[in-house]
Amino acid sequence: MVPNNVSANFSKSLSAGRLRAVAIAAAGLIAVCISAGQAQAAAPAGCAALQEKYPDWKGKTLVNAINPHTPGYEAIDPKDPDKYVGFDIDLGEDIGECLGFKLTYKAVTFAALLTTLSSGQADIVISDIYATKERAKAADFITYSKVFDGVLVAKGNPKKINGINTSLCGAAAAENTGFVEVPLVQDMGPKCKAEGKPEPTLQLYDNNADCIQAILAGRADTYVNDVNTVDQAVKAHPDKLEKAIAVTIPYSVGIAVPKDKPKFRDAVMAALILLQKDGVHKELLKKWDLDPNNFKEPDILTVN
Amino acid sequence: MSLFLHYLSLPYLITGAWFTLAVTALGLGGGLILGLVLAAMQLSRFAVLAVFARGYTIIFRGTPLILQMVFAYDALPQIGLKLSAVGAAGLALAANEAPFIAEMLRAGVLGIDRGQVLAGQALGMTPSLLMRRIIAPQAIRMMIPAFGNETVSALKNSSLASVISVQELTLRSTQLASSTFDFFSIFFASGLIYLVLTTGVSVIQLFVERALDLDRPATENRFARLLPWYRAPLALQAVASDPIATAQPEEAATSRDAKVSRADRTKRSAGLAHNQVVVDVSGLYKAYTTQPVLAGVDLTIRLGEVVALLGPSGSGKSTLLRCINHLEGWDAGIVKVGGRRMGFREDGKPLSPRALAEERAVVGVGMVFQQFNLFGHLTALENVAGPLRWVHGVSRVDADRRARELLERVGLGNRAHALPRHLSGGQQQRVAIARAIAPNPAVLLLDEPTSALDPELVNEVLEVIRRLAVEDGLTMIISTHQLRFADEVADRVVFLSGGAIIEEGPAHQVLTNPRNPITARFLNAMETDRPSVAPA
Repeated sequence: MVPNNVSANFSKSLSAGRLRAVAIAAAGLIAVCISAGQAQAAAPAGCAALQEKYPDWKGKTLVNAINPHTPGYEAIDPKDPDKYVGFDIDLGEDIGECLGFKLTYKAVTFAALLTTLSSGQADIVISDIYATKERAKAADFITYSKVFDGVLVAKGNPKKINGINTSLCGAAAAENTGFVEVPLVQDMGPKCKAEGKPEPTLQLYDNNADCIQAILAGRADTYVNDVNTVDQAVKAHPDKLEKAIAVTIPYSVGIAVPKDKPKFRDAVMAALILLQKDGVHKELLKKWDLDPNNFKEPDILTVN
Repeated sequence: MSLFLHYLSLPYLITGAWFTLAVTALGLGGGLILGLVLAAMQLSRFAVLAVFARGYTIIFRGTPLILQMVFAYDALPQIGLKLSAVGAAGLALAANEAPFIAEMLRAGVLGIDRGQVLAGQALGMTPSLLMRRIIAPQAIRMMIPAFGNETVSALKNSSLASVISVQELTLRSTQLASSTFDFFSIFFASGLIYLVLTTGVSVIQLFVERALDLDRPATENRFARLLPWYRAPLALQAVASDPIATAQPEEAATSRDAKVSRADRTKRSAGLAHNQVVVDVSGLYKAYTTQPVLAGVDLTIRLGEVVALLGPSGSGKSTLLRCINHLEGWDAGIVKVGGRRMGFREDGKPLSPRALAEERAVVGVGMVFQQFNLFGHLTALENVAGPLRWVHGVSRVDADRRARELLERVGLGNRAHALPRHLSGGQQQRVAIARAIAPNPAVLLLDEPTSALDPELVNEVLEVIRRLAVEDGLTMIISTHQLRFADEVADRVVFLSGGAIIEEGPAHQVLTNPRNPITARFLNAMETDRPSVAPA
């Protein structure tokens, strides 16, 4: 699979896809949740011991709440839209295989990820969500990846935006509801004022596609988000979009689990450590063409 | 364009459309059930239920559906009710649709002409029977366009279920757009799928409207005609000819006969005086706020007697008639029909509406209204036969036979399958009379039966009433302004003014030689129709 050229792959598969489409167009209502992805290589040796230590989830099917609008991390497979694919999907399946559970997926908006978890409608969230202290009030996080953000702008960067700084003054920034970038952009307001410049305005959307459309339609000047998402957008519209710059922001990406299940949190953490030792984590970064610098040894973030 | 077609036929999106339909179906089905309950509560005579329904309506009509969806999905699990995403979306949509559907139902029920309800009550229909046979069938026809609207709106509203992870068309479109970046092709495709669904709803709506259209040539079973082996029956109905309406010269002769036999009628009146009492009204008092409409009325009607109620408009004639079969309540006094005290149980407590209806059916008080009040959705035959079956439990064969006989008697045997709206006013009133006498009532009340008719149609109705009096000896109380008719047909005239009986006596005597000055003034004002002073 060559995920970094999604649209090219997609057009090649068009005619076959259409044949198939016609063949099963009459298919009726099918199961709500669709399991995705193929199992990765055999689980590391230590997994058997883990399953003995944490037997509660063996043979279970858990629900993973995702916001599947982030190609590379989690999105539907353009060639088979009934499946979800991406780095996070593979990582979750590997952790599940190690601990003996299977995953089904529940697609929700980004802002609803943690509420879905805490209402019990999902058991785990692996969806490129940044672990912040605020969010840790709603769920415990096992962090696994460093964060690099890219600044997406229209081709030629007409507003000369070069980061989350006063170059944003007077610009319109598109962001997803609930993203950590939202307060970062808002913090620029007073600074712009101090320099006698107009404050940046924020447009809140529900998913990446809408944010990217906002720039394409000329409604927004920039969209600051995970660098990989930004790269994917530039690849899809190379003549209309570009990445102004990549910036680091002081967060880590985390797997969210319910606060009242510390045992589950520890089990996931243990499995993740095992996968990292076995080199699976780095293999997945390579498979999905993500920057190896993302790699991070797991930590637990929990607040009361 | 090829991308657009690709997405249009993509099973992923088609399956999404099925989810959309599933949520819509749950929402509408649940909303209809909840809406029926709400509407029933609001129309109920128990205030607590109505208040509760009002409160529900305020809350669920006044908050956005998207919040209700999130609530059903995320908050209900907190109290242990964990529905699937489709279930939660269906529940929220149903809860949201219910007040709108309830208002539609309520408007439909309240939109039914009050006369239809009165006529049904007068025939002894219980409230539930009235709802099932008379109100609902007519209200449903009126509500279909609104229900079509509501369905389309629910279908579109189901897209909000995307916020709670229902894999419906909108959610699937945005997910697909996120992973392929083919934003516009995907949204045009899903827009077209929505259009196909809403067009389907419109087609179904038109089809249902056509199927329920009363003006389409009716057959016994309007759904049978859709079957491939159905063949239309040959029309054997004779071209309409109306024996009574065309019988004017003969009718004039009859009335001359009536005058000639006045001597006989005096003898008849003497005989009637010994008959048993059918209707006994004593001390009947009724007031709206402080204004009395009936100020202590005493009236006795004997078997076979025909009484004409005369008096100016507002003198209480209609109210008196409506009290006799308890279509209206009163404040003081007693009404007895056939020796039975109307409207009260043995122990003196008032009857429930249901028991009241049964009492009317048992005691047998038929009523004919000024505005005819035929059931608009039923043919002439069904107007007569239907109540016989529903209220009196007569078999279909017997009810139809009785209805045909009676229609024949009122000269409408050839219009048995006509709808009321296709009959003239006079014909409608003749059907209404047939309907009223079908259960063999002990007494027939006629409330200004010819006042709403064009002058040339009056005689055909009077002729039917005359025959009932002369041939059947039916006990009748007729409120009327037709003085000549009263003189010819009535045994007794009762003159009401200001809610009280100011004069009564043998018809010819009161009409030609009134003692009370108010009676005299009224009769003078109606001079043109006044019978000649000298007995013929």
